[in-house]
Amino acid sequence: MDLTGVLLRAGAARPHVLTVAMPGGTAVRLAAEQELRRRGWPPAATPADADVLLTAGDPAASFAAVLDAAWQAMPAPRVRVQASRPGELAAALETARARLGDGSAQQALAAGTGRDAARHGDGGAGSHEPARRHRDHHGHDMGGMDMPGGLPMADRGADRDGLRLDQLHVPLGPVLPDWPAGLVVHLTLQGDVVQHAEAQALGPGGGGSFWTEPWRRAAAGEPVTTGEAARRRAAANLDSLSRFLGVAGWDDAATVARRLRDDALAGVPGSRLQPALHRLARRIARARTLAWLTRGLGVLVPGDAEAAGVIGPAAGVAGDVTARYRRWCAELAVAAGTLDDGSPLGPAGTEPLDDLRVPAAAVLAALPRLLDGTELAAARLIIASLDPDLDDLPALAAVSHDH
Amino acid sequence: MITSAPLWSVLVVPALLAAFAAAAVTADGLLAARAAGRPLRAAVAAGPLAEVPRLLAGQRRSTVASDALLWRLGVLTVPAAGVLAALVIPFGDVTASRMSAGVVWFNAMEVLTWAGLWMAGWGANSALSLVGGYRFVAQGLAYELPLMFALIAAAAGAQSLDVADIAAAQSHLWFAVWMPAAFVIYLVSVYAFSFLGPFAYPAGRDLAGGVLAELSGADRLALEAGRWLLLTAGAGMAVPLFLGGGAGPVLPAWAWSAAKTLAVLALLVWGRRRLPALRADRYAELAWVVLIPLAIVQALVPALVDLTR
Amino acid sequence: MIVIFWVLALLAAASGFMVFRFSSMARVTIALLVSFLASGALLILLGLGYLGVVVILMMVMEMIIMAVFMIAYMMNPAGLMPMSMTHSKPRARAISVTSFLLLAAGIFAVPWPRRAGAPPASPTFQLGAALMGSQMLTMVTLGFVLLATMVTAIVLATHRGRSGTTPRRLPTGR
Repeated sequence: MDLTGVLLRAGAARPHVLTVAMPGGTAVRLAAEQELRRRGWPPAATPADADVLLTAGDPAASFAAVLDAAWQAMPAPRVRVQASRPGELAAALETARARLGDGSAQQALAAGTGRDAARHGDGGAGSHEPARRHRDHHGHDMGGMDMPGGLPMADRGADRDGLRLDQLHVPLGPVLPDWPAGLVVHLTLQGDVVQHAEAQALGPGGGGSFWTEPWRRAAAGEPVTTGEAARRRAAANLDSLSRFLGVAGWDDAATVARRLRDDALAGVPGSRLQPALHRLARRIARARTLAWLTRGLGVLVPGDAEAAGVIGPAAGVAGDVTARYRRWCAELAVAAGTLDDGSPLGPAGTEPLDDLRVPAAAVLAALPRLLDGTELAAARLIIASLDPDLDDLPALAAVSHDH
Repeated sequence: MITSAPLWSVLVVPALLAAFAAAAVTADGLLAARAAGRPLRAAVAAGPLAEVPRLLAGQRRSTVASDALLWRLGVLTVPAAGVLAALVIPFGDVTASRMSAGVVWFNAMEVLTWAGLWMAGWGANSALSLVGGYRFVAQGLAYELPLMFALIAAAAGAQSLDVADIAAAQSHLWFAVWMPAAFVIYLVSVYAFSFLGPFAYPAGRDLAGGVLAELSGADRLALEAGRWLLLTAGAGMAVPLFLGGGAGPVLPAWAWSAAKTLAVLALLVWGRRRLPALRADRYAELAWVVLIPLAIVQALVPALVDLTR
Repeated sequence: MIVIFWVLALLAAASGFMVFRFSSMARVTIALLVSFLASGALLILLGLGYLGVVVILMMVMEMIIMAVFMIAYMMNPAGLMPMSMTHSKPRARAISVTSFLLLAAGIFAVPWPRRAGAPPASPTFQLGAALMGSQMLTMVTLGFVLLATMVTAIVLATHRGRSGTTPRRLPTGR
């Protein structure tokens, strides 16, 4: 009785899945989250915890290195699958589970990657895969001092008390839980206080956001109902809310938001959905603990908002994190009223494309100043409260913003 | 009359603790399934326990230039702290180790988590892991003194540091009834030292798991199990400290102990999901300026009661 | 009992010695912590259960707080570059060996009293009464004053916030 085989098969019953969303892969990511929730498979927060690496959407060239790094960081047993369309998900996940439970396949994989690790030349290779997602990038030449793994010593920078403390260069990378797809924020940290931030967008862009698709179709002349647009708007707010609540550590509320988002997109009748949406919006908007935790973070004054190119109704993004998530709740309550509206989304009812969602370019431009001097938890909350959708960006190879 | 059990009972304590912890994990899984809208079935209940074979079969990772000694030592300290803390908890009429200063032993063993998590955060040589370890130290500074004063309040009520004496002193009225502030502070501290629920921010999702970010395989199982073992030990200790121990009509003492422990565990598992993760920079001042004076005043109450008696 | 005593004593001495041999500040702190834990265990072995456990409790907390400061302020905290922690070795060696010999001579030369009767029911209580009995009120007052000072210090420190008096932003100067 092969003990390892038994353990593998038992463990393959509930694998942890690391979903990496590609640019333009929002629909697949949503379907993946729904499928995982239905099966009860927990989403992995880090490659160290993952058994399955799921690439959601068409693989982009700019993500190849990222996916390889995540794959290297995953411990055995592991499987790598890809789904370009929501319909391919079920088959991909079943294949993954079958391959995970297959002892001989996993052993072959482990034997093969021993050579791979040596070839990739990760510093300090051993029989395990030594991989760190966060590495000291700064290339200071230490002139002959022999540091392990070839890593340079951390450089130092001034802090507010006039001391010189070590600085770490940590990218908040594209593979993080509840993180906008394709965003990389390069941070210079002292301890966990951000000294300097640069925002970068991976991925080709130019595909158009999933959330503004009904308005684009209506502008192109297709018949689109107000109800469909309202559902898409409600789902967008619910998606942003669920990611924000995930970052804030409120998993139950995040799960409820995801469930309602999937219901709205799946066409559940408005009569059933509306009371649930109102309940959730009220609960989050009135949550006093959440407001206490997020008050005063990431304040974007109206002048900053305009300077960053945020105009029109989206300028309502001014304020702190609390104001922003409460605005999502308010919009949710409004959209909940018109979920079943069958009237066409014509020119009379069409809102401008960049209506209430803040353009991603503006968010990337505003991030460095917003994140300066905040601590890591606050930085993540600020980014989650802005939730830029990088599919919005025009088709450039990479757009980089720094101060 | 609580007696000390023979030496081999020290082996029974981890098994019993693990059984209660498994029950807590199962209940937590059921609550998660209900929030996710999945039907509650037996397979769903067994779901979280599938973590054990998955992690046992998993490969352990190492990172570049990690401090392997401190890393592994830190990861092992957390479940060890839970088991050691549970040695003084009486189960019915029997306790594995009857120490004259049992309350202080419990406090000392849960403080080992400070050392364990700091080492686990430091050893991985990863930025997010390190931030998680330091977050726990910040959290520790905030909860430790209120917890100590809450324990002192319970000990002052019985005029003894022996857990058996404290349980016996509640024959008239449970301490949870006339020392409610101490009871609430104690339960909040149980969340804090097992870094679960609203105090899970050392292992928070915003840090991709914090101290858990670089762990896999048996190490991850040790740390995750350690959290739940600490929660269970805390729940178990609440029973003799504040809820009268094994006293109760009809049923034998061990049944009452088990029932009360399960009740406290159910409360803790239910309450875990109600709040977002609290951050130390927001509550540090609250803990020192509000909770400590409150706990001191609470500790004065049994002292005055004893003086006037 | 004797075996346990010698094991703990050697552990305490050895890990204390390792404090000066490790290059990594983190390992140095943990070695010191192990030494203190062994000393606490020795106190438990001597029948002073409460004191021993309190030593363990206090030392874990203090060593971890010390670790935070050592990592923050010492160069080379992870010991990745070999470093020597000892200075002026010949003089230090002479002084330490001399002190050890003096103390050892003192321990063996002092006329220790013979035990008369049985150990008291609560050795901790007896020890506490002997040390602090006449000054108990002073001790209690001092304890409260210390606590009040610590709370005040925390309040003053957190009032400034993580980013000092400037509103959540460091002067970037760009």
